[in-house]
Amino acid sequence: MSVFDGLKFRGISSPIHMLDPRIKFFYVCSIFVVAIIFFELLPLLVLFLFQIPFVILARVQKEWIRSLRGAAFLASIIFGTNILFRFIYAGYTLTASDVEYASAMTLRFIALVESFSIFFLTTSPDHLGLALEKSHIPYEFCFAFTTAVRFVPVLAEEAQTIMDAQKARGLELEKGNFLRRIRNYIPILIPLIISAIRRSLELAEAMEARAWGAIEKRTNLYTLKMKRNDYLLVLVSIAVIIVGIFVKIYVSVPTISNLLGF
Amino acid sequence: MVIVEAKDLTYTYPNAEKPALDDVSFEIQKGEFVILTGPSGCGKTSLCRCLNGLIPHFYQGELKGKIVVNGLNVVDHPIHELAMCVGLVFQNPENQLFALSVEKDVAFGLENLGIPRKEMRERVNWAMETAGIMDLAERAPHELSGGQQQRVAIASIMAMNPEILVLDEPTSFLDPVGAKKIFGVISKLNESLDVTVILIEHRLDLVARYANHVVVMDAGKIILDGEPREVLNSEKTRMLGVGIPKVTRLFQLLEEQKALHSKKVPIMAEEMGELVRGALKA
Ligand SMILES: Nc1ncnc2c1ncn2[C@@H]1O[C@H](COP(=O)(O)OP(=O)(O)O)[C@@H](O)[C@H]1O
Ligand SMILES: [Mg+2]
Repeated sequence: MSVFDGLKFRGISSPIHMLDPRIKFFYVCSIFVVAIIFFELLPLLVLFLFQIPFVILARVQKEWIRSLRGAAFLASIIFGTNILFRFIYAGYTLTASDVEYASAMTLRFIALVESFSIFFLTTSPDHLGLALEKSHIPYEFCFAFTTAVRFVPVLAEEAQTIMDAQKARGLELEKGNFLRRIRNYIPILIPLIISAIRRSLELAEAMEARAWGAIEKRTNLYTLKMKRNDYLLVLVSIAVIIVGIFVKIYVSVPTISNLLGF
Repeated sequence: MVIVEAKDLTYTYPNAEKPALDDVSFEIQKGEFVILTGPSGCGKTSLCRCLNGLIPHFYQGELKGKIVVNGLNVVDHPIHELAMCVGLVFQNPENQLFALSVEKDVAFGLENLGIPRKEMRERVNWAMETAGIMDLAERAPHELSGGQQQRVAIASIMAMNPEILVLDEPTSFLDPVGAKKIFGVISKLNESLDVTVILIEHRLDLVARYANHVVVMDAGKIILDGEPREVLNSEKTRMLGVGIPKVTRLFQLLEEQKALHSKKVPIMAEEMGELVRGALKA
């Protein structure tokens, strides 16, 4: 759960929150491109550090750290498997460069998580839905997306209530072996599903009552308008890609173990 | 002017044995405040659904007879067209809000109708002002209390500027304070904008004062239909188990014992107070 907690939007206002979500997504893509073309630790480290000012500007440090902590488990798996493969591949020995390679792969993952979490932490789902709409994705999908986000807390609360009610009737969730434990959740899932179906029917009725589907071309209360900072971020993202590709082609990147003289 | 007219309306849900509405006929005048009441399962919700076309367009089933709303024959017009003149507010406030902020939700109907942004902004602000939720504009629905959510639902319907506002037990999920606020908003709309209100409600103690027309249903039929004092004072209404105002019941008991008498049956506490004061003086 903690990974998702680290991605949950909180409505505060900052220069990063004000940015056009499409541009922020472009920025995420630029980080993505640069992250996957490098296999060396140094540029990935630079990429990781490069994003920290954004986090501070957006005032989401706490959530950002939480998202990194949530990613720690996957990161350690990536590190572990990389080390293991290198170890076996090299005939059961391990050099500093192997460790560095594994670290680079891990850091690549972390830099990606970092950019995604900046995106999701600073983009309200409403604006994200709007950005989807403006990207010519059919309105039905955008609506389904924002409505799903809207009902996440509602369903979570309902699941908790059902769980408490079933526990009060003597259901023991933590009892038995693995399969048994999964079976224990059935008395929670069934009421949850039934209630979700009823809820969706009521929602459909309410949508009809608000003239859903009246005309082809609906309007929107909000608009997305590119402002100065948006153009700035476009420039930054393009610069990131260009610098990344330039370094990749023309500069031979030293490894850190070389720099340190191993 | 008649704004809603039903004639011999009979409706059966798909696969149902019994009709939910059984030969129902009534008329509602423009600007009236109508209270529709009756025991649970008597067909009140089904009647609401007929008013904006959910029945028969959404629910299918078999509809006989005629229902005309604001000059439109419900059977011949799609729901979104009817939605512009009949606004329906549902029982559960949670399940009629879709967006992630209050103002976006209030705008939802207008967006569907393709209203230009500038006009939309004005209507959204007006509706939020009227429902007293201006300060909640940017909040997410799940952060609001049930009463606030229901006011958001009313605002989002009112933004569409309907002639008729239909509310299906809008306060059954709310505490008395939240309920009172809702009734305040509704009666304001009825009085100052001449919106026709059709309110389904059990707490007649709280709402009888606003009504100028009461309809009582039972088992899919209309049992009583008329002037509030007459309907609420009727033996039939009480026998159905409809929760008539306590002061009306008290008046009936006192009148039986010849302790109190009045031509005007009290339906509000203030009226009863006056009657008792008068009797004590005499
Ligand atoms: N969606 C439905 N499908 C089938 N039958 C329904 C449906 N909704 C209500 N009914 C039936 O129609 C009758 C009237 O219900 P309803 O209009 O909800 O009454 P009320 O709102 O007065 O409680 C009941 O017998 C109920 O079981
Ligand atoms: Mg009902």
